[in-house]
Amino acid sequence: MTHTLHRSGSRESLQDDYIVFAMSAKGMNERGSAPKLQEFLKMALKYNPTNYGDMKTGNSLVKSDAQLMDGVQDVSIVHAVFHDTDTVAALLNDLARADLGVSVVVSGLTDEAAQCCHHAHLEPHTVEYSLGIWGKTELLPEPAIRDVTTMCGHGQVSAGLVQRLVKQIKRGKLTCEQAADLLAKPCVCGVFNRKRAAALLQRMVES
Amino acid sequence: MIIDESLCTRCTECVAYCPVQAIHIHKAEKRVQVSLDECVECGVCLRAQVCPTGALQQQPLSWPRTIRSALSDPLVVHPETRIPGRGTEEMKTNDVTGRYRVGRVGLALEMGRPGAGAGFRDIQRVAQKMATLGVTFEPLNPVTKMMSDPTAGTFPREILGERVLSAIIEFDLPVAQLPQAIQAAREVAQEIDTVFSLDICALVHGNEKLPLPDLIRQQGLEPSLNGKTNVGLGRPIFDFALAAEGQVS
Repeated sequence: MTHTLHRSGSRESLQDDYIVFAMSAKGMNERGSAPKLQEFLKMALKYNPTNYGDMKTGNSLVKSDAQLMDGVQDVSIVHAVFHDTDTVAALLNDLARADLGVSVVVSGLTDEAAQCCHHAHLEPHTVEYSLGIWGKTELLPEPAIRDVTTMCGHGQVSAGLVQRLVKQIKRGKLTCEQAADLLAKPCVCGVFNRKRAAALLQRMVES
Repeated sequence: MIIDESLCTRCTECVAYCPVQAIHIHKAEKRVQVSLDECVECGVCLRAQVCPTGALQQQPLSWPRTIRSALSDPLVVHPETRIPGRGTEEMKTNDVTGRYRVGRVGLALEMGRPGAGAGFRDIQRVAQKMATLGVTFEPLNPVTKMMSDPTAGTFPREILGERVLSAIIEFDLPVAQLPQAIQAAREVAQEIDTVFSLDICALVHGNEKLPLPDLIRQQGLEPSLNGKTNVGLGRPIFDFALAAEGQVS
């Protein structure tokens, strides 16, 4: 149903993985929402997200901040990725005070997201869970690779690229951080968590 | 996507980028080729800008092959939903739209996710199975719009040979009907040549007597540790209380 759900991994690993995003509802509060979505992005950028972007324009690795900001439209979905709940709670607090009127969603550990809401004096309104992968799961790459690839919900990050970059890291041609950035580029929305990806790659290299 | 063999240097830089392994190296023939049957026209290889000679090229797409890019390339905006990619707003704007209400749950079966891809024969198989429950598929979902008969979950014959990176079969239903839907998902999962990721969403307010994680566990399933939380900042907020009383449509 969504581009930020179905991210796999252990609780320990997912503790570093939160996406906060905003959008307006088509035909309801859409008209004139672009400045509000720009304001969301400005507020999010204050907290130095590990990645960010807009489904209409691209991600922070392929577009400049100015391009992203100028590209925001009424139909945009703007995202920012963080690796700790204190930051998410602080951003939610800012967003609650700003009362932009656009929908805001936190994607990540649901119990922690509820705590973030609590700190910002908000209450979860609607929640969504993954119920896993069904069918011919033997077609899929190993779970460690899926933990990386599922960080792009549109499936733009291939398992083959992860495998290739792991080999290059092992040969000393790339650092885990450089490889994580290469993996983040195809994820056009900017929801790929570079910091978590680097940690997952490090684990794969060591195993 | 195609490779112009007259320009290709067989550097194979593009191969690893393909999410569905549709770019093949034919060593004996010294060729690198895109399998047009397998390619879902997501554009990832082209956007990666790794081809040094411009051999990788987007060929013009015509119906029904356009379905591939519409559902596989997140930069392609569906003309009716106006959402980039294959999705809908679903619970993301539920605070404003009131799409999922008290006593109901939303379900989505995302065919081909993660990374396996799905053909429309399998997509139709799953949609038909879910249609037997009498559900109404989400009208704003691009997959629903492609159906020839949404009450039966069928698609036009000419698109059944098409393949996409993922496609979302989406509907909501009364909580009481959830066990049948889960059973149907279990059964149809055995009948397809791909995978689907299943997700469930519900309103928190008003559904607190039976929180969603408990409801999920009642079906013999375990909710994911992570999920999505709409924090209710959208305005104007949909009046769920009035809707429950039948005063809001």
